[in-house]
Amino acid sequence: MRRQLPAPIAVLAAAGAVFVLLPVLALVIRAPWGSVGTAFTGVGASTALRVSLEVSVVATVISVAVGVPLAWVLARVEFPGRSLLRAIVVLPVVLPPVVGGIGLLAALGRGGVVGRWLYDVFGVQLTFTTAGAVLATTFVSMPLVILATEAGLRGLDVRYERAAAAFGGSPGYVMRRVTFPMIAPQLAAGVVLTWARALGEFGATITFAGNLAGKTQTLPLAVYQAREIDPGGAILLSLFLVGISLIVLVALRGRLAGTR
Amino acid sequence: MPLDVAFTAKRDAFTVQVAFSAADGETVALLGPNGAGKSTAVEALAGLVPLASGYVRVDDVPIQDLPPERRPIGIAFQDGLLFPHLSALENIAFPLRSRGARAEKARAAAVDLLTELAPGVRPDARPAALSGGERQRVALARALVSKPRLLLLDEPLSAVDASARPGLRALLRRTLTTFAGPRVLVTHDALEAMTLADRIVVLEDGRVTQAGTPGQIRSAPLTSYAADLVGVNLFAGSLEPGEPGTGSMDTGEGTVIVPWPDGVPSGRIEEVLATLAPSDVALHLGRPEGSPRNVMLGEIEEIAVVGERARVRIRTSPPLVAELTAGSVERLGLSTGALVWASFKALEVRLNLRGGRT
Repeated sequence: MRRQLPAPIAVLAAAGAVFVLLPVLALVIRAPWGSVGTAFTGVGASTALRVSLEVSVVATVISVAVGVPLAWVLARVEFPGRSLLRAIVVLPVVLPPVVGGIGLLAALGRGGVVGRWLYDVFGVQLTFTTAGAVLATTFVSMPLVILATEAGLRGLDVRYERAAAAFGGSPGYVMRRVTFPMIAPQLAAGVVLTWARALGEFGATITFAGNLAGKTQTLPLAVYQAREIDPGGAILLSLFLVGISLIVLVALRGRLAGTR
Repeated sequence: MPLDVAFTAKRDAFTVQVAFSAADGETVALLGPNGAGKSTAVEALAGLVPLASGYVRVDDVPIQDLPPERRPIGIAFQDGLLFPHLSALENIAFPLRSRGARAEKARAAAVDLLTELAPGVRPDARPAALSGGERQRVALARALVSKPRLLLLDEPLSAVDASARPGLRALLRRTLTTFAGPRVLVTHDALEAMTLADRIVVLEDGRVTQAGTPGQIRSAPLTSYAADLVGVNLFAGSLEPGEPGTGSMDTGEGTVIVPWPDGVPSGRIEEVLATLAPSDVALHLGRPEGSPRNVMLGEIEEIAVVGERARVRIRTSPPLVAELTAGSVERLGLSTGALVWASFKALEVRLNLRGGRT
C-alpha cells in the first residue's frame, strides 16, 4: 500500500504550484486569442522579434566564443585568485540586471572609463546601439555557459584525456576529439540556457542600450512598452516568451537536475 | 636494450622507484599489491607523470623527456578506458587518427584488428554496450593498432567477469607472444604474472623487492608478500649451527630447524631466508613421535577450502600455513580456534642465503 501523503505537505506543495501556475494561466485566460494573427504583424512586434533574435543569437555566439575558453581556464589552470575570478565571472547571475547595465555605462558609456577613449579615438559609441544591446545581453547571459562548461570539465574523468594523450593526441587534438565531445551534453545545455536567458534579457539592455525601436528594443522591452498602450498585445508577446522558455526547460529537464 | 628503465616518480607524497629492462619478445610483469605504485609506474612510462629522476630508454634512446603522444608505447589501460563517445571501431582507430592517418586507412587497420581480437563486437557499438571482456579486447586492439615499439598492459583482466577470463587470458597470451617488441604486464594477480610473464618484478610500497623468473620467485620468494603470492611459508632470520648437518633459525617469532647449507663453514649467518611448501607441513591431533625435527603446537586461525584442497593457517611459533586435502580436514575434525600439532622435516626447508645460494 502506498503511504499516505502528509496533509500539510500536500497543502503547501499545492500552494507553491498554484502560485507559479497562476500567472501563466492568467496570461492564457486573458489573451485576446482573436487577434493572435495580428499580434506579430504589428510593426512594433515584428521588429522587436527581429531585434531580439539578432541580439540573442549574437550574444550567445560571443558568450560561447569567450566563455568556453574562460571556463576551461577556470576548470583546468591553477593560479592565484582563481576562486575570486570565478565568483566575479558568475556575478551577473545573481546581480540585478539593472546594476549590470549601470556598470556597463560606467565602463563603456560615452563618458565611461573605456567608452570615453573609444569615442575620442575611434568615434565608437555603444550606448543606444544594437551592439550595445548585444553587450548588455552578453554580460548577463554568458555566466550560464561558463557555469555549465566548467561543471562539465570538472566532472570529466581526466584519465580519458590522459589516455588520449598516450594514444598520440596532441593537446589540441585531445581537446577537439575527446574533451569537448565528452562534455557536449553540458555544453549544449549551457548554450541553450544562455540563449534563453539572452532572449529574456531586460534590465541591463534598457539601462545601457535604451529602448529604441528597431535598434535596441527587444521583445521584453516591447512587452514592457506595450503593457499600457496595448495590454492584449503585451499578453500575447508574453505568452510567446513563456512558450519559448518552456520549450527550452522541457528539452533540458534531465540535464538541469544533473540526471539524464 | 630494447627497453631499459630506471626511475623515481612521485605522485603526491608517494614515491615509486623502479628499475628493469626487457628484451624483444620478452614479457616483464610488474607484480604488486594495490597501492604498491604500479599505476604510477605505468603513467611514468607513458609520460603522464613526470620522472623525479632517472630514465626510460627504448632502443637505447632516452624518451623520458618526450610528451606522451610522442612515445612509441601502446597501452591497454586498466578498465579499458575506452572513449565513451566513440564507437568500438573509432576507439581502435584513435591512435592512428591522432597521428594524422587518413580516415580510410585508419578504419581499415582498425577493422582488421577488431575482426582478429574481438570478432563478436559490432564495429559501431558504443563501449557502454560492451561486456567487460569485450571492452578489454577493444582496448587491446587500440593498444596494438599503431604498431608501437613497446606494449604495456595495465591489469588487463581486473575488470573482466570470471567467465570471460579464460578466453581473454588465452588471447592475451597469444597477443603477447606475437608482439615482437618488449612487453610490460602490470598486475596484482600472481597467477597472471606467473603464467604470462618471462620475468617478474615485484613492487611493494613503491620499491622493487624482488626480480626474477617465475621459477626463481616461486622457489625463493624474498618477502612475505611474494611468499604469500606463491603460496609458501617464508622464514627470515639468523642461522646458528645446530646438531651436525643442521642449523637453528631464529625468525623472531620462533625457531625452525633447517639443514645446514652445503659448503658453508659453521658459524652464525645473518639475514637468511627459508621457504617451506605448505604441503610439506603435516597436522596431528596429538604430539607426533617420529623423525620430523620441527614440531609445534598452535591454534587454527583460518581454514580456506579451495576445491579438494584446504589451506590451514596456524598460530604456531613461527606461524605456518599447511596444505592438506579437504578430506583430511574432515577426518581430523579441524576447526578454527582448535589446537593442532604441526610437523615438518628439517630437510624440507629450503634455505636462501642472500647471496642467492640455496
